[in-house]
Amino acid sequence: MSRFGARTRQIRERLRASDRRYSLRQVARRIGVEPAYLSKIERGAAAPPSEATTIRLARELGEDPDVFLAMAGKVSGELQEIIRKRPKLFADLIRQLRDAPDEAIFTVVRLVRDGDW
Amino acid sequence: MITIVGGGQLSFRFPKVHRFAECGIEFQRTLRIPDDERTYPLPPGLGRFPLRHLDDFADRLPRETVRRGGVIMPIHQSEALWIKFEGRWGSPYPCAIKVATGKVCAISGEPWHEGLTQGPQNYVVVPGQPWLDGYCVAKRTIRQFVAMSLGDGHTVEEQLTGQGVHGGLQTAVYPMKSEVYEKLKLPEPFFGVREVGSRWRGMGLAPGGRMSQEIYEDEFGLDAWDQDHGGRCFVTMANSQQWMAITGKRPPTQPPTVREYGRAGLPWFLHYDRDREAIEGAERLGVLKTVGEAAQAERHGWRSSKPD
Repeated sequence: MSRFGARTRQIRERLRASDRRYSLRQVARRIGVEPAYLSKIERGAAAPPSEATTIRLARELGEDPDVFLAMAGKVSGELQEIIRKRPKLFADLIRQLRDAPDEAIFTVVRLVRDGDW
Repeated sequence: MITIVGGGQLSFRFPKVHRFAECGIEFQRTLRIPDDERTYPLPPGLGRFPLRHLDDFADRLPRETVRRGGVIMPIHQSEALWIKFEGRWGSPYPCAIKVATGKVCAISGEPWHEGLTQGPQNYVVVPGQPWLDGYCVAKRTIRQFVAMSLGDGHTVEEQLTGQGVHGGLQTAVYPMKSEVYEKLKLPEPFFGVREVGSRWRGMGLAPGGRMSQEIYEDEFGLDAWDQDHGGRCFVTMANSQQWMAITGKRPPTQPPTVREYGRAGLPWFLHYDRDREAIEGAERLGVLKTVGEAAQAERHGWRSSKPD
């Protein structure tokens, strides 16, 4: 069983325990694929789906689309486009932050400012 | 550290406490359930409200609003919302979360203050509490969060304090102490690579229809939470006209009506978890006038009375 498939099934089954809308059949219908295909993906019998389907699946399961894409061995087209527009800048940035601790990375991510209330 | 993820989720992370210590909070659009004294099951989410950094619109907002910092979101008059708590990596890190509207705690009904309390409990615990749909007015019963303009006297803040000063929604998150978390031996989380000027009145939240939802008692105890490393955020709310004036863009779709809800065939669902103990509701919140009662009162030519 692939990591992507196993993880998808684990999350879906957990949701299904409290909400029947997360049956394999209903989730497949909502993301626009055949139940048999989603079953194959979950069992690792089929490769992870396309980028668009992976994003729909992640959103349906309440997960982060970027993390789901990474599990599927993909990087979103949106991120690729961002890098392609300024390749040197973003390539340098990513390389420099590769081994940085999360705290260091957050210093370059925009934080929500807390004020006086 | 608080960031906006994906344009619609507040992500609270506490790397100084533990590398897995994080929690997501998002605000879901939903149908406003009828305010007819029946108790309804929980309505589904209809998508997230977008969130933006308030500072991006500082030049178009009143100074006192900018001073609060935080984020801003569009919400239509009388639109309902529920709050989704998300520990995101499959094995979420436990956090204690406070939620207030107009700086009145939605769990205990007490005025906002920093920190956690028990007796009455003024927070929810995630994982375990996946959603909060409204004010905890009695055991296993809540009143739906419904957006109303400040100044009309309907918001919880105005009904309890007689003033509509703050409005909006406030939240604070406290992660579990790392040593307590380590002792729990939870499975390791999965990681992938991982001026509107003088017309501004602001929006607040008022109690709407009644529904069944449990607010669970904290099973860990106050001492489990790292109150030295909490994070908090003020969520300013803007109605559709205000949002357009501030951002120059239309807000998301109109809130759905009951008929639209029925036509869409969208299901209701219950959150079952009968093994856990629910906390008592807040008497202070239970006696408030609902949006429906206030509207009925106005139709009969008299306004809801405000407390002294």
